[in-house]
Amino acid sequence: MLANQFSMAHRLQWVYLKLFIALLACTTSAAAHEIGTTRVSVLFQERQSYDIEIVTDASALIDKLKAMSGQSSSANPAPDSMQNLLQDFDDKFRQRVKVTFDGVEVHPGIAYSVTPGSGNNSAPVATIRLTGQIPPGAQNFTWTYAWTFASYGMTVRKAASENPSTQWLEGGQRSTPFILAARAPAVGRLSVARRYFSLGFTHIVPLGLDHMLFVLGIFLLSGRVRSVLLQVSAFTVAHSITLGLTMYGLVTVSPRIVEPLIAISIAYIAIENIFLSELRSWRVALVFAFGLMHGMGFAGALKELGLPRSEFLTALLTFNIGVEAGQLAVIGAGFLLVGWYCANRPWYRSRVVVPASMMIACTAVYWTVVRLGL
Amino acid sequence: MLRRLIPSTWWFALIAIGMSQAPLLAHDMWIEPTTFSPRVGEIVGVKLRVGQDMLGDPLPRDSSLIKQFLFEDGQGSKPVIGRDGNDPAGFLRVAESGLLVIGYRSNPSAVELGPEKFNEYLKDEGLDDIAALRAIRNQSGSPAHEAFARCAKSLVLAGPPTDKQGDRRLGFTLELLAEKNPYTIPNGGELPVRLTYENRPLAGALVVAMNRTNPLEKVALRTDKDGRVRFRLASRGMWLIKAVHMIPAPPGGNAEWTSFWASITFDLPKM
Repeated sequence: MLANQFSMAHRLQWVYLKLFIALLACTTSAAAHEIGTTRVSVLFQERQSYDIEIVTDASALIDKLKAMSGQSSSANPAPDSMQNLLQDFDDKFRQRVKVTFDGVEVHPGIAYSVTPGSGNNSAPVATIRLTGQIPPGAQNFTWTYAWTFASYGMTVRKAASENPSTQWLEGGQRSTPFILAARAPAVGRLSVARRYFSLGFTHIVPLGLDHMLFVLGIFLLSGRVRSVLLQVSAFTVAHSITLGLTMYGLVTVSPRIVEPLIAISIAYIAIENIFLSELRSWRVALVFAFGLMHGMGFAGALKELGLPRSEFLTALLTFNIGVEAGQLAVIGAGFLLVGWYCANRPWYRSRVVVPASMMIACTAVYWTVVRLGL
Repeated sequence: MLRRLIPSTWWFALIAIGMSQAPLLAHDMWIEPTTFSPRVGEIVGVKLRVGQDMLGDPLPRDSSLIKQFLFEDGQGSKPVIGRDGNDPAGFLRVAESGLLVIGYRSNPSAVELGPEKFNEYLKDEGLDDIAALRAIRNQSGSPAHEAFARCAKSLVLAGPPTDKQGDRRLGFTLELLAEKNPYTIPNGGELPVRLTYENRPLAGALVVAMNRTNPLEKVALRTDKDGRVRFRLASRGMWLIKAVHMIPAPPGGNAEWTSFWASITFDLPKM
């Protein structure tokens, strides 16, 4: 612990020293800037992914997040609690941070950590890591961070081994565009379509276990093709609607709401399978409503992946088709494994549908609890 | 409520609520010691903060920005020492009981603001004469280059408060001076504050006071001909009083405008 604290203190001091040296080197007039303790380092890896690290004063950031949420500022908690607080404020934090490629905002994954200060008077340090995929063919990157009032340095590297370039920014100021590739290769529509189809498919199989269980829940209700077709169609139409609306910015619902609702929808479908053996019209309506939520979940994932500006619609459509293909693959596998042979057997419900639905329901209830943070 | 906050008719008061979207670059700067009520012999960290609505970011020590960083007690003036790049920006040792005045005066920093932001900032800080001057010069639609300097003070009390203790004039270009020891003022009592520019009273300037318990509820008063305002200290806790003064920059530099940001902080203990 002590060694960690020492290394953090040493690292921060070294960073400040470097910042000041850099500042002196680039200052031409007599007037300097008021430099705070925030620093931002951006690393692009293989033109595929980005990794942005913000190091800032944890207490100052939490005070601002609380004030923005209308909460009064209380005494600073321990670093562990600060980390949890930052995670709780994730939605709020995102409102004043903008990562854009070619002018289109992407939705990074964010991890928060807080480490204790290095001495009696030093404040805890928050390290916030924003990661995600660079949209294929993206040519420039811009950054805005409005959670600091002081000036700060942003270093950008195109590879871990490269010397960083530095920009000095005021809090809330948008950086000048950083050129990712002098002459980026043109992105073909076909290659975008192929890439996003595969991303959509893998978002279901094997990455989207929750969506897989939902689709299996639909499949398990009844072995009849009509039942599966009606439900899958309702689900597909619904999630396509919200996926499109969310990606075009017409609908915004926080993942904090969407993700637990997705888990609840799986639990509901699975529990209903235990008590229901025939397709009812309300079931189709419910599957449609649940599909709307899953669509928002797909949009959250797609935002994290990022979309190329030039081929936005192609990417959106092929991602959706990839998702459909993933669903059909799950249903096809279910049909081949159990449906083909035993859907019409008298013991199908008692030996397959009920136990499988119970397992799905238990898993989904567990996810609901976890996603609600209970 | 508003009427109670206005001590007399010749001061113009307004309460600014909802400052969360205030201009991007016109930020307050103040001193926030690690304690406002140290014991004799205690080492006090002197934190510099830049921000708005009393939400501040740390400003680590930067010797290239420091013109004066000192504190005054009954024994005289001493430097606030520290190491570059560190927050708190400096430390002092309390040698005796009494009121201690901490002062930080900076060299100018440069900033360039777009016309809308600059006009909005002039309005927010009550710098009407500069806005009028820009209009006369046909500059209201042009970006502005400004050099701003900080003149921050803080009052720290070691031991019991007495009426004999008082704020001290540090000779800052723009300076707020508490004309009474705020630590002796009873709850709801008035604090007379004087604003001076180059050691002369500054009339008609906007002075703003806010308390940490509700920093959005600001009290803004214009100074009278003697540079005075009186704030009713209705809440306990930390207070920040601030004022901005701007003048056309002397020719030859990069800036068109020079501004000075005075502030004073103190923390009234809970009763």
